Amino acid sequence: MFGLVGPNGAGKTTTLSMATGLLRPDAGTARVLDHDVWADPAGAKALMGVLPDGLRLFDRLSGGELLHYVGLLRRVPLAEIATRSAELLDALALADDRDTLVVEYSAGMTKKIGLACALIHAPRLLILDEPFEAVDPVSGEVIRSILRNYAHAGGTVVMSSHVMELVESLCDELAVVAQGRVLAAGTLDEVRAGSSLQQRFLDLVGFTASGEESLAWLRSSSGSS
Amino acid sequence: MVALLVRLKLTLLKNSLKRSLWRTVGLIIALLYALGIVVVVLAAMVGLRYTSLALTADITVIAYAGLTLGWLLMSMLVFGVDETIDPAKFALLPVRASELLPGLLLAGLVSAPGAATVLVAAGLVIAWARTVPLTLAALVAVPLGVVTCFLLSRAATAACASFLSSRRFRDLAFVAVALVGVAMAIVGNLINAIVSTEVAKLRSSLGDLAIVAGWSPFGWAWAIPADVSRGAWAAAGVHLVLAVGLVGLLWMTWEHFLALGLVSPMDGGGTASKVRDSSSIERLYPATPAGGIAGRALRYWRRDPRYVAGIAGFLIGPIVLIVTQMINPQGNAAIAVFAPSLLGLLVGFSIAQDLSYDGSALWLHISAGISGAEDRVGRVMSTMTIYLPLTVILLVVAMITTGAWHLLVPAVGLAFALMLSALGVGSFVGTLWQWPAAPPGASPFSQGKAGGLPSLLSLTVTMLGTLSLTLPTIALVIWSFSTPWVGYLTVPVGLVCGFIVLRIGMTQGGRILDRRWPEAMLAVSEKAA
Repeated sequence: MFGLVGPNGAGKTTTLSMATGLLRPDAGTARVLDHDVWADPAGAKALMGVLPDGLRLFDRLSGGELLHYVGLLRRVPLAEIATRSAELLDALALADDRDTLVVEYSAGMTKKIGLACALIHAPRLLILDEPFEAVDPVSGEVIRSILRNYAHAGGTVVMSSHVMELVESLCDELAVVAQGRVLAAGTLDEVRAGSSLQQRFLDLVGFTASGEESLAWLRSSSGSS
Repeated sequence: MVALLVRLKLTLLKNSLKRSLWRTVGLIIALLYALGIVVVVLAAMVGLRYTSLALTADITVIAYAGLTLGWLLMSMLVFGVDETIDPAKFALLPVRASELLPGLLLAGLVSAPGAATVLVAAGLVIAWARTVPLTLAALVAVPLGVVTCFLLSRAATAACASFLSSRRFRDLAFVAVALVGVAMAIVGNLINAIVSTEVAKLRSSLGDLAIVAGWSPFGWAWAIPADVSRGAWAAAGVHLVLAVGLVGLLWMTWEHFLALGLVSPMDGGGTASKVRDSSSIERLYPATPAGGIAGRALRYWRRDPRYVAGIAGFLIGPIVLIVTQMINPQGNAAIAVFAPSLLGLLVGFSIAQDLSYDGSALWLHISAGISGAEDRVGRVMSTMTIYLPLTVILLVVAMITTGAWHLLVPAVGLAFALMLSALGVGSFVGTLWQWPAAPPGASPFSQGKAGGLPSLLSLTVTMLGTLSLTLPTIALVIWSFSTPWVGYLTVPVGLVCGFIVLRIGMTQGGRILDRRWPEAMLAVSEKAA
């Protein structure tokens, strides 16, 4: 399980988009299990399950219809689509909302149905952009255990996040990126180098605490209205 | 607040121009077009100064009432409302609708059509500046008329948009189409009658039309100087009261819907509705990626207001033509019989804009690794499922109402030749240009954020391409008017040509798409300014 961490605007989403064939890189290659994403897109994409961040879904479909649709696009046999989507909806606590339009889902539910879409064709590699954003703690734990089991069974997960605790508890390896560059990469212990990941991250990215006097006007407002 | 909103509009306009060359080109074209209209109208108004008072009265009332009606129709059916400043964005700020309105009104006039309307309206003063009372009356009429134009489009679209976001939108869209169709048919006949009569009668028809226009809500304001020129002070007073009342009413209507928008900016609301099981759709198409796309698109045809509005828009033309011929006994049956072919011609655009309508949700197709050809085939299947029955229904209606059965064969040949070619051309053109379309939740009346030029280009190329590739069939149809047996050739020739164009369009379009998926993705998801 590989974590990609970095501050806002570091290039996490851009990196993942280029690795999944959504954004054409100016230079360089992306390889998935010996398939070049840009030379052999069909072969590489068949092995990947993708959960992008900030892109719409076909949200005028219900959750069940969306899963069925993704299953068809991914050439999953019809019978498999039915059993897998039922299990996925059950596991992610979306079974009650399978006939609700995705557009009416909350942010967390949308993340979960997106994850289900990424999983339905049983990919070898999962690429998840901010998979835990807006997900409630219970569902978050469910997703964690799904991902852990998936990794134990031989799958690979690449996920981006800016929640250090999450990456620390889940990932085996990680890379810290900022302003489009990799600042550190390796196993969790290598990157941490003795201190906590949070501290190491702040050191790498270059954090300077804002002074006491900044935003002073905010404090005075607590006294008034 | 007024100055703030106008400045906001100018800043937004400036920033959007900085971001995209297309928009700059689009704005310049719009401005040139508007300038052309303004120059023509102003020249006409100067010319009217050399004619009689009565003629000036009739022509100005008709022309300006037409302008007002045009604002309503254009904003409802064609252009939508300029949502550069989206009132919903103010929902979090502590402002009241009544504070926003004057600013929104003025900011709305800061646009090519807004500025053109103000200048065109100023032409009324030029035409009437002959005596002091007439000049004064024109000076009163112009602001009233301009404000009416603008408020009418805003109030009508705001009212309809809130209907459309409700569940009843489908019925309303079709009712609106029917009403507009009938209205246009009547106006068409009126014009027909006017043109076909002699000049003496023409003059009196013009007078009749001016009276109708002047007493319709569209002409109340514009008729004031005309009344004054006749010395009909009572009529002028009544028109003034009516015009002011209309502005007030529209103002309150708009304020009402704006206030609603400020407290409920998000569509949908709390009630999470369930959809009915529609697995029958899945059995309609094969269980392949293309079949999946077709099924998904068919669901969108029913659930996405943009597609519903699209069907309604495409049906207007043929329905108007058929209705006009129905109520006009001396009409030409051929026009009604060939009207359904128009639908085939328009279908191409529907397919050409399909990728843009998907928006950033298109990533799913790309990351699933489906081929461009599968994408094309799926979209063609669903579009056919919608428009093939509609064309057949229109053909049957046209045949029954006109009874021109001898034209049945060429009409069928032309309709299907056009539809197949349009689907092929649309499949191909749709891969060349994409643009960020308004998302499905947005009002179908709001303008595509940057759609402008690429969508216009796509429309033009699709239309011209379809027409030129259907030329063999069109030629046969024309020949069949003089040599009836040729009509029987139109069906085989039309079908064969159509299927060839469709096949080439889908495979070549798919090939382009295979190369351009990431670029298409970038084009449809360009962040709205």
